[in-house]
Amino acid sequence: MTGNERTGGFAGDPAAALNVAGSAGCCGNPAQATMALPDPADPASGTCCGTPAAAVAANSCCAPAAKAEAVASATGCCG
Amino acid sequence: MTTRPNPAARPAPTADLDATLGRVSRDRLTATVTALASDAFTGRRVGTPGNIAARGWLGTELTDIGAAVTGDSLPVRAVPVIYAAPTARWGTGTMTADLSFGSDVAPHLASADLPSPRRGPLGIAGTDDPDGRWLVAPAGMSLFDAYAQAERAAGLLLARHVDGDGWQFTMLSGPNPGPVPVLALSAAIHQAVHEAARDGDAWFAADAPIRRVDVTATNLYGRLRQPSPGHPDLLLTAHFDGVGDHPGLRQPGAADNGSGVAVVLEAARILSTALPEGAGLSVALLDGEEVGALGSAHHAARLAETGATPLVVNVDGAGHLHQAAAVEAGGPAYGLLAVLDQAGRHTGVPLVAGPVASDNRRYAGAGLAALGIGAGMAGYHSPADTPERVEPTTLAAITRLVVATVWLASTAPTTLQSSIGDGR
Repeated sequence: MTGNERTGGFAGDPAAALNVAGSAGCCGNPAQATMALPDPADPASGTCCGTPAAAVAANSCCAPAAKAEAVASATGCCG
Repeated sequence: MTTRPNPAARPAPTADLDATLGRVSRDRLTATVTALASDAFTGRRVGTPGNIAARGWLGTELTDIGAAVTGDSLPVRAVPVIYAAPTARWGTGTMTADLSFGSDVAPHLASADLPSPRRGPLGIAGTDDPDGRWLVAPAGMSLFDAYAQAERAAGLLLARHVDGDGWQFTMLSGPNPGPVPVLALSAAIHQAVHEAARDGDAWFAADAPIRRVDVTATNLYGRLRQPSPGHPDLLLTAHFDGVGDHPGLRQPGAADNGSGVAVVLEAARILSTALPEGAGLSVALLDGEEVGALGSAHHAARLAETGATPLVVNVDGAGHLHQAAAVEAGGPAYGLLAVLDQAGRHTGVPLVAGPVASDNRRYAGAGLAALGIGAGMAGYHSPADTPERVEPTTLAAITRLVVATVWLASTAPTTLQSSIGDGR
C-alpha cells in the first residue's frame, strides 16, 4: 500500500476503463469518405468516440463530432 | 506473451518514489510546450517543414536524456492542405461584407480546389437554378443531397457552428474532395446569406484554396533501457504532430499534443536515472495521429513483427485537468490498469474511465496492454490552442502520474492494493 490514498485514483471500478463505450473497432480501418464535418456546437454529439461506424467513416480513432465535444468539455479525448 | 509488472521484483520503498516525483519540473514542462508551439514548428502538421523541424528538436531532447534514438518513416496519402489564405465576400444591392477565414468561413474538407475567387449570384440548393450560383445548403440538408443539387454551380455553402472561442476548428481526417467548391460558413453568416439568397439580388465571391498532398511521416523512438529477463518493458508514447498552421492563421497545437509530449519527455528524463533495476523503458514520439493515428499503427505493426510486448502508456492532452483524467485501457491491461490506479492514489490524481481516442487504440488493437490518458485541452485544433492555456499544474500532475505508474509497474505491484488485480 502506498501513502496519500483516496485523494486520487479511480473513484469507481478501474476495470471500466477496459470497456469504454464506443472504443471497439475505432482504429485500424481503411480510409473511407464521410459526408460531414464535426460541428462544434452540435447538440447531437454524444460521448467521445461516438460510434465505431462514425469513427470508421472518418478514418479516425473516434467520431469527429463526439470527439470535439469531449475535448471542449475537457474530458480528455483527442486525436 | 505480454510482459506484466513483475511480482517477484524486490519491493522498493515508496520514499524513493516520492523523491523521484519531487524532480518533476513545471518550468521544464512548460518550456517544452512553448517550444513545440513556437512559430518555427508551424503547428507540426505531418509532412511539413515545421513538423520535420520539431522532430529534429525532439530527437535532440531524447538524445540529451540518454536515449538511443531512431526514426521510422511511413507514407501518408492525401493530407488536406489549405495552401493560401482564403478570401470570401458577399453582398446585396445595399451592402457588402468580407468574411474572416477560420471563424466566418473555411474551406470544407469535401471541397474541390478553387484557386481563384469565383463570383456568382446566391441561390438556395434544391430551389434555385444552380447554374453559376453559389448555393446555400439549407440547414439539415446533407452534403450528399446538396451535391445532387449542385451541378454547374459555382459552389456550395454549408452551415457550421463555431466553438466557444469563435473558431471553426480544423480537422485533417474527414470527407474526401468532391466535385465542387464547398465552404463552411459560421451559423450566423450562413443564416444571413440564406436570407439574402431567399430575398434575391445577392451575390457571393470566394476561392477555396485546398488540395491534398502525399507526404512522409516519421516516428521517433528512443530506447533508454533494455529490460532484464522477467522484468517489464514500459513504452511511453505521445503524438507530436498537429493539425498545422494555415496561411495567416497560426494553430500552435500547445495542448494537442505539445502537452502530452512534454509529459512523456519529462517522465522519461526523470525515470532514465531513477527507474528501479531490471525494468526496460522506451519512448515513441508519434507522427500522423491527426490523420488517423497512422504513426502508432505503423509502430504497433513493427512491434508485432519483432514479438515485442511492451506495456504502453499514451498521453494525449495534459492541458486542462477537469475533475479527473480520462483513462481508456485496451489489450491485456488489467495489471497495468491496477498499477495506474495505485499511481493515481499515490499522486493524488483522480481518474475516470472514459474514451481516449488516440494512439493507445492502435497498440491495444495490436494486442498490447495499452493505457490512454487524457487530461483535457483548450482551444482544440484552433488558433486558441496556445501555451498560455496549458495549465502547468496539469502538466505536472500527469507527469507525476506517469512516473509513478512506470515506477510502480517496475517494482512490486503485488504489495499494492488494487480493486481489480491482474486478471490476465
